Amino acid sequence: MSQSALLKPALYAEQGTEKVPDHPALNGGRCACGHVFFPMQTYGCEVCGRHGDALQPVRLSGRGKLVASSTVHMHAARAPAPNAEVKPHEAPFTIGSIALEDGPTVRTVLVGVDEKTLKPGQTMVTTLVPVGTGAKAILDLRFTPAT
Amino acid sequence: MAKTLKDLRSVYVVGVGWHRYQPLSDTPYVMLGLPAIRAALADAGIAWTDVESSYIGTGLLGMAAGRAMLKHLGATGRPLVHIENASASGSAAFRHACIEVGAGIADVSLVIGIDKPGVVQRAFTKTGIGNLADDAIVPFTHFALLTNEYAHRHGVAPQDVALVAVKNHRNGALNPHAHRQQARTLEEVLGGRPVSGTLTTLQCCPVGEGAAAVIIASEDAIKRLGIDPARAVRVTASAASSEAAGGQAGADAAITKDTIAEALKQAQVAPKKVDIVELHDAFTIEELHYVEAMGICKPGEAIHLLKEGAFDIGGQCAVSPSGGLIAMGHPIGPTGVGQIGEIALQLRGDAGPRQHKGAKTGLAHMVGLGAVCYVHVLQRP
Repeated sequence: MSQSALLKPALYAEQGTEKVPDHPALNGGRCACGHVFFPMQTYGCEVCGRHGDALQPVRLSGRGKLVASSTVHMHAARAPAPNAEVKPHEAPFTIGSIALEDGPTVRTVLVGVDEKTLKPGQTMVTTLVPVGTGAKAILDLRFTPAT
Repeated sequence: MAKTLKDLRSVYVVGVGWHRYQPLSDTPYVMLGLPAIRAALADAGIAWTDVESSYIGTGLLGMAAGRAMLKHLGATGRPLVHIENASASGSAAFRHACIEVGAGIADVSLVIGIDKPGVVQRAFTKTGIGNLADDAIVPFTHFALLTNEYAHRHGVAPQDVALVAVKNHRNGALNPHAHRQQARTLEEVLGGRPVSGTLTTLQCCPVGEGAAAVIIASEDAIKRLGIDPARAVRVTASAASSEAAGGQAGADAAITKDTIAEALKQAQVAPKKVDIVELHDAFTIEELHYVEAMGICKPGEAIHLLKEGAFDIGGQCAVSPSGGLIAMGHPIGPTGVGQIGEIALQLRGDAGPRQHKGAKTGLAHMVGLGAVCYVHVLQRP
């Protein structure tokens, strides 16, 4: 894996958390007020307005419960301009809304799913998938049903 | 203590006009806006020189659209301002015009919502904060996810949700200003192209071009200009809000609930006493969310009322008699202004074949990306 590059290293890491070591962690943040958010930022807390050092990075486990899903049948790639090194999203693909066990709810592309068997409440985990168009190995984060 | 619109002097809608909402054409925006404004002035029976300020609701035209259009009415030198608030741009323009007239700074103001489809990069993509896959999650997928969640929570079938579109296309077929003017069967709605999840094209609003104008006036102006007071519809509430922390995916319904409650409190009207609602049904599921958020019925019960015809023209509460965003269309800037125009027509008894008989109280609701929410209540005695 050392030859691979993460597409969005600011958002997730190859390594999991202590609690969920086998699935990539998400780079979230925690405010001094206790609010946990994703992704990490220091602009200011949405709950209390504290900013800067009051907001500290926290690794969120790559595990959560499925809230909802939708298979996208029509998709036109728009801004931001597509990166030629990365495969564009091609319909059909399935989007999931996942309530992370560490707090925030995130939405992203699901892989390894059969829409008919997807059920709200089922456990989903993170996984890295190759998305490069060329020789360079580029990995991006997806969610998939836990086995 | 801060005041509400009702604490200021009374504000009335005295004229309404449209350019039909339609697919993108070669017509310059100026020639969409001017006919709508001239129609609203004629409807009010006043001259352009009687208008003291102009509010232009637009999201997609670009900077400084207003004077280049308004000068063709005769450049009066009066103030004008552009208001952008995503889908709620027109609703926001209407609110601020009402506040100006209510405060006594102007006696007569124009609100014009106008847009043509165009590429405008959404600022929230430029915050410098990344996201996992927002390029793959456009609004129809956001609402497809909410449809999926609602369907599971309340045991509702996709064909039931699609009934919202059947009703709204039926209403739109009676509206000469609507983008879509064709009644559709449930089979046609369900048989259309799949978009995302269980949503099909006819369950999603068309975003085209068009214009909607309303003239608002104070009581002083109504007397001074000889406007027929029987055709003046009072604005009895204006409420606005934005998403609070922790709203997550259900933010639109959450802010709708609070903002409608605030508007109904200002107007001193109970939810079930509202005769007409024009709401932000950009996607079918939204109508169910918002009538429930409004308190017309309990969560999960909207489908039953819809099936009973409670939301039809002539029913308990006509929901989106104009055709709503799904059939009347959603050209962005005009949408919220057109809702006010439709309610004014309905309360005057001038809505022709789509008239909801005896309508006395109407409520207009819009949400916009952000999320933001606007609600207005219009009433006649």
